[in-house]
Amino acid sequence: MLNETALQEIQELKIRYPERESALLPALYIAQREFGWLSNEALLHVANVLNLPEAKVRGTASFYSMFKDKPAGRNIVQLCTNISCMIAGSDGLVNFLQTRYGMKPDETTPDGRFSLILMECIGACGTAPAMLVNTDFHENLTEQNIGEILETYK
Amino acid sequence: MVQLTINGKKVSTKKGNTILEAALDNNIKIPHLCHDKRLMPYGGCRLCIVEIEGRKKPEASCATFATDGLSVWTDTPKVIKIRQTVLELILVHHPLDCPVCDKAGECDIQDLVYQYGSPRTRFVAEKNHALPDTRGPLVELTSSRCVLCGKCVRLCAEHQGKGALGLIGRGFPTVVQPAFGEALECDFCGQCIDVCPTGALMNKSLKFKARPWFLEEKDSICSFCGCGCTLTLGLTDGKIQRSRGMQDRGVNRGNLCGRGRFGFDYIYSENRLRSPMINKGGELVTVTWDEALNYISDRMKSIINAHGPSSIGAIGSPRCTNEENYCFQKFMRNVVGSNNIDSSASFGYGLVEKAWHMAFGLSGHRIDLKYPTGKEVILAIESDLTVTHPVFGLNILQAQREGSELIVADSRETKLTRHSTRWARIKQGTGVVFLNGIMRIMMDRGLIDNQIVLHMKDVSAFEETLKEYTPSKVSEITGLSRDELVTITETLVHAKTRMLTLSIGVSENSKGLDTVLAATNLIHLLGESPDALQIPAEYANTFGLYQMGVRPDAGPAYQWTGVEGKNIFEMLYEPYSLKALYIMGADPLVNFPDKSEIITTLKSLYLLIVQDIALTETAKFAHVILPASSWAEKEGTYTNAEGVSQMLPRLIEPAGQSLPDWKILKNLARTMGEDMAVHDTTDIVREIDSLRVKYYDSFPMTRIFNPVHYVPGEEPDTEYPVNMVLRDVLQHAGSMSTRSKTLNLISSEALLEINRTDADRFGISHNGYVKVISRRGTVYLKAAVSDSVPDGNVYVPTHFPHSAVSTLTHQSGKGRITTEAVRIETA
Ligand code: SF4
Ligand code: SF4
Ligand code: SF4
Ligand code: FES
Ligand code: FES
Repeated sequence: MLNETALQEIQELKIRYPERESALLPALYIAQREFGWLSNEALLHVANVLNLPEAKVRGTASFYSMFKDKPAGRNIVQLCTNISCMIAGSDGLVNFLQTRYGMKPDETTPDGRFSLILMECIGACGTAPAMLVNTDFHENLTEQNIGEILETYK
Repeated sequence: MVQLTINGKKVSTKKGNTILEAALDNNIKIPHLCHDKRLMPYGGCRLCIVEIEGRKKPEASCATFATDGLSVWTDTPKVIKIRQTVLELILVHHPLDCPVCDKAGECDIQDLVYQYGSPRTRFVAEKNHALPDTRGPLVELTSSRCVLCGKCVRLCAEHQGKGALGLIGRGFPTVVQPAFGEALECDFCGQCIDVCPTGALMNKSLKFKARPWFLEEKDSICSFCGCGCTLTLGLTDGKIQRSRGMQDRGVNRGNLCGRGRFGFDYIYSENRLRSPMINKGGELVTVTWDEALNYISDRMKSIINAHGPSSIGAIGSPRCTNEENYCFQKFMRNVVGSNNIDSSASFGYGLVEKAWHMAFGLSGHRIDLKYPTGKEVILAIESDLTVTHPVFGLNILQAQREGSELIVADSRETKLTRHSTRWARIKQGTGVVFLNGIMRIMMDRGLIDNQIVLHMKDVSAFEETLKEYTPSKVSEITGLSRDELVTITETLVHAKTRMLTLSIGVSENSKGLDTVLAATNLIHLLGESPDALQIPAEYANTFGLYQMGVRPDAGPAYQWTGVEGKNIFEMLYEPYSLKALYIMGADPLVNFPDKSEIITTLKSLYLLIVQDIALTETAKFAHVILPASSWAEKEGTYTNAEGVSQMLPRLIEPAGQSLPDWKILKNLARTMGEDMAVHDTTDIVREIDSLRVKYYDSFPMTRIFNPVHYVPGEEPDTEYPVNMVLRDVLQHAGSMSTRSKTLNLISSEALLEINRTDADRFGISHNGYVKVISRRGTVYLKAAVSDSVPDGNVYVPTHFPHSAVSTLTHQSGKGRITTEAVRIETA
């Protein structure tokens, strides 16, 4: 169940848009922020609060890769492996993350510190390879600086 | 209008139409997969792509407005090439299992590939191997065949207001399914089956029955509710195999509810009567038509001789055609000589007619299915039109989507309340108080339409009667806050266009004549035209039967009959008031209130004739049973709630020895030595026409206030602490639909809807059986624990013969609210 503050935030979102549907994405964000991921129960809850069909809510949540359908680690690493980043060496970075931190795509490390997601283009082709850690943006990655960066996330 | 050029040809179209709509309206074909008139533009499939002069890129014609001066080309080599590629891409995953797909033969993909398909496939990828989801009873989902056009998802959400399906996932693995992949649980309207361009969504009841190219399709009219939808029926070997809606066809413009789509098969029920029967010594024995008719003739004559014609009564049927109902009243009035004829309409439409006459001096209350469109405010009173009249309901939902303020005053959460802009959750049965409260506020604040009201003579007397409905009292009785009441009043008053609507009929008990009269009073105060009141006649031919004179107080064309005959209340609830009763196409023991009282009456009769298509509960008490042909087995007309008469063609052979009702009546009259002077339905139609049946009067119109006061139903007490409210379920209309095997798959018994608090209080669990006891009887029902009903109230439908809900109910004889006080125990 969402707590009072979260519910309040969603209620406010509802008034902000002429269509209830428009509040769906931000409401899902709030739910994910609260629970860490979007369980079926969380989706049902959002559907009820927004008075939207469950199928619509699940459909939307399952479309966007930023919504998690399973529990995730404390830090979410979203590494781009699309064409520009691939050319600039993102495949090597994937290997590096696996050997150094034991991170596997779509999995969470046993200590719960990191979850790795391989992303489609995140719009940083000019400074590829690039990644997002939680909501922070990092570019021009190399095996060296990626380690330094990740050390700042505990 | 907008003028544009398509393929060099000048065409015009309504402003706001898309290029695709402009083309289709002008008979120019552009292929399209994801477009449906009823839905918002989507532009998903890219097949409707066209070139527009002066624009660089080809555009999706379904998502581009037609504007003045456009020049559009729909079939350039470039466009054709794009379409081919799109189709190639669609087929990458499509399993191409046409040989085992029931859609093959009427599949849009098949047709398009046949038209455009390139023989080469340049893309190779894994085929979609998703297994069909066969769990649902009526809709089969084979998502491997889905091309993700999203039409089903959008139709279900946008148009049906249900949202049972979603596009789940993204990219290649996307599937169409209910939210969490569970079995489909929905309204079962089957509209998604009609819109699916492929075999991904299929009508399970048609499965393996017929290849589309063997189906011969013919149109007829639905025999359930008063909407009067056109069904497109597919037949093979003289049997109806399916029913579907065709875009733009009929008053329903292609929409159907589940009853019309799946429920027609009640005519194939094992319960059908195939030959006449006579009760001989307590047993029903099959006899010849001759024997049955002679038996009736002899008995009737001796009853007439001994007790006079007024000892014989008759009940007509909204399931029978106009011609048959006409013959029925003619038989009663001319052959028997009695005006004792009535029908279920006296519990519903008859009350509306009465109110209509009292308030406006008019007769023939009709609705307009499209009336909701564009109305600024729609007020629905204690009704869920999406259940009683689903296609009318759809138009209300659509109006709401297009910006109408939809105010629903109801005690129970329904589809209508879920889509309302304001749900005024009044306590059940308090509609009259709610309306009086609104009117009192209007009076107090001078918000009435003076031009109209000041010309009405009884204003001050009327105002006097509203005095006691002070906001605080109204608030107390209805449970609405004073502010809410004021806001609703103001919204209503300030709107420029309005519609007031409700449903009323024998299957409901929380509204009555008073509710309708209160609504007419409000129409006066608002200065609205009477048309703003839209109360649909309940069943397929309720409107028609009333016009045909199946009523005790008037013959066809509202001709006064001299002596007023006995009405339904006098005939059925006053034992020994009749010696003989002739029931055509009605099952009072299931559909009418107070079963045991009716049984007493039926048992008191010297002669009970039941003429119907199936062995009904009432037929079990009959002395003679006459087998009638169903709507599909004869010709005739039904008049829908709009007053539109529509032809029923004869589609199939009559079951057994059954005959159309009019023919039975004609033969019976002849056996009795009288000639009804009808040889075929054209004769009857000619005769009806010669009477110049006026379906409706528009002038002169008067305006009269009819003050009404709140008279609640049976009040709960310590012994019977709960209110029982009767409400229809979506899958049924009347009780004949419960003989449909297909509809029974989704709704086969009366469920008692009960609030969680009450369920806990009485120790009742979801799906557990409960004992329901009223002052009149006891029945056992399955409980459905639900948050949508308020505590202190349970909601039950009457349709199901074996649930015998009418054992619990009573009637008032005055068209009053008749909610029951009941006690509920675990069974
Ligand atoms: S049958 Fe009707 S309610 Fe059910 S999924 Fe299809 S469109 Fe939606
Ligand atoms: S199931 Fe049919 S209507 Fe629905 S998205 Fe797939 S192809 Fe379109
Ligand atoms: S029951 Fe009513 S709404 Fe449904 S298909 Fe028949 S006429 Fe139409
Ligand atoms: S390809 Fe990686 S940011 Fe665009
Ligand atoms: S019909 Fe226009 S994109 Fe599908």
